[in-house]
Amino acid sequence: MLESIIKAYNEAIFDTDRERALQVIHAALEQGVSPEDVVFKIVVPAIEQMVTSISENFDANLAQHFMTAQIAAEVTEEMLARFKSAPESVGRIIIGTAEGDLHSLGKRIVMGCLKAQMIEAVDLGVNVPAERFVDEAVARDAQVIGISAMMVHTARGEGGCRAVRRLLRERGLEKRIMIVVGGAPYRFDPELYRVVGADAWAENGIAAGRVIAGLIGEVRR
Amino acid sequence: MSTGMQRLTAAMKGETSDRIPVFCNLIDQGARELGISPRQYYADGAQVAQAQLRMREKYGHDNVWSLFYVGKEAELLGCSKIRFHAQGPPNVEEFVIKGYDDIDRLRVPDDLTAHPAFREELKCLAILKREVGGDYPICAYITSTMTLPALLMGMEKWMELLFIGPAERRDALLAKCHAFFVKEMTAYRDAGADVLVYSNPFGSTDTVPMRYFLEHSLPWIEKDIGAVGTAGIVYYCGTSRFNRVIDTVLERTGIGVYYLSPLDDVAEGKRIIAGRGLTCGVINDIGLIDWTREQIRNEVRRLIEAGMPGGKFLFGTGVMPCQIPEENIRTMLEAAYEFGSYRR
Repeated sequence: MLESIIKAYNEAIFDTDRERALQVIHAALEQGVSPEDVVFKIVVPAIEQMVTSISENFDANLAQHFMTAQIAAEVTEEMLARFKSAPESVGRIIIGTAEGDLHSLGKRIVMGCLKAQMIEAVDLGVNVPAERFVDEAVARDAQVIGISAMMVHTARGEGGCRAVRRLLRERGLEKRIMIVVGGAPYRFDPELYRVVGADAWAENGIAAGRVIAGLIGEVRR
Repeated sequence: MSTGMQRLTAAMKGETSDRIPVFCNLIDQGARELGISPRQYYADGAQVAQAQLRMREKYGHDNVWSLFYVGKEAELLGCSKIRFHAQGPPNVEEFVIKGYDDIDRLRVPDDLTAHPAFREELKCLAILKREVGGDYPICAYITSTMTLPALLMGMEKWMELLFIGPAERRDALLAKCHAFFVKEMTAYRDAGADVLVYSNPFGSTDTVPMRYFLEHSLPWIEKDIGAVGTAGIVYYCGTSRFNRVIDTVLERTGIGVYYLSPLDDVAEGKRIIAGRGLTCGVINDIGLIDWTREQIRNEVRRLIEAGMPGGKFLFGTGVMPCQIPEENIRTMLEAAYEFGSYRR
């Protein structure tokens, strides 16, 4: 039964059809699928499936990323209220766009996916100064800082990731907090994340969940 | 020696001149060229024209631009806050549409040419036309109906409205954006722009699924192009790939110039266009920031070897980041002139 539900949900996601995806989930609940299984056996695998299809074919796109994340967040929010017990948090990330950068879409996609993966995301919004990234990460005991930048000057500039790295070094926090970056400039130069001092980069918002979970694991090891 | 316009015209006809046309899109570099801040630079259309002319002379490429910055279109529709940066393009800082009710209040100016935000662009165009009109193609940048809302409300909120918002609000916004698009395109043509870059990331299957493209993006592309005609129009999806839709766009609209993504396979794009239009192979200009001389030359050579055989090919750049060293711009252009020569 679960197999056919997963297939129907994935098809709705790929068609960017929110109504149909939500119908599939609600029908699954009526058929006795638990809220926990909805999240961990349908929604999260759908995100993984999207990551795989991005790497394998061309027909996975921004709209699908957006809708996958949007629906994942909506369904997870609804299911969490029905969980038998509160799920354990995998970890915590502070997320925002680099100083001077006002592009928020990528961040939203990342956050939608993280919610389903039980990674807490603290959203600092857009145009975030480096000090604030670090201060908030310390105050909230986050394992990762996520910096989104859609323009070359905000990705490479002195006020973005480079400044966050410098602050982490100066404050002796490099083993406690890792940095992940994402955004168009990193897609066009896959080595750029090293140049600006990040620990990792994600090619798109959907893939970011896996990368961030990996970094949290490294910090906690 | 041929002029840029002669090279472009020859390429479009499938004829040869001294070399393939080479478009180098230097926009924000203009402020540096004149030694002033971007805010000062973009305040005066005469300065933008002066820098465009000076940079074209300096590097020898085949085009000049009337584009100030993309957010200019939002200014024409009511945006009053643009964020300037010394090292990057100006950006819309405050969106015109903050809530759906703002869509009702959005007003398309009756006469764009009378709008203060357009006046400096017209001044720039008049100078470019006077100085190089007919010799070097003058480019203008026009955002498509489907993409313009992203400048007015941000990409995140536009995606939200597009996919999960109320359809009547979406349609009302698109209708206003289309009305604006037609006026803007007409104004640029009247002012002397030759190359009209029709920018539409929603015309790419990197942005939307093919089915969505066919059902939603394509009808708006047809409506846009149907209203203004194909003369001078260049199909461009930002950095998003669009080889998969070229055949459909060509058949349904008749657009004759395709400015590919740096991530598109140039040879494949050219095969799909199959002599029915001009293929523009575009270099990954973010790579140009750090590449060595040899890497730059190899990449230029690779693109030109993929696209030049059989003619109807142009070599171009994206919107060149300010961080690219001048030496690398020269290396890229010299390689393009060398490998793109018909007299080798």
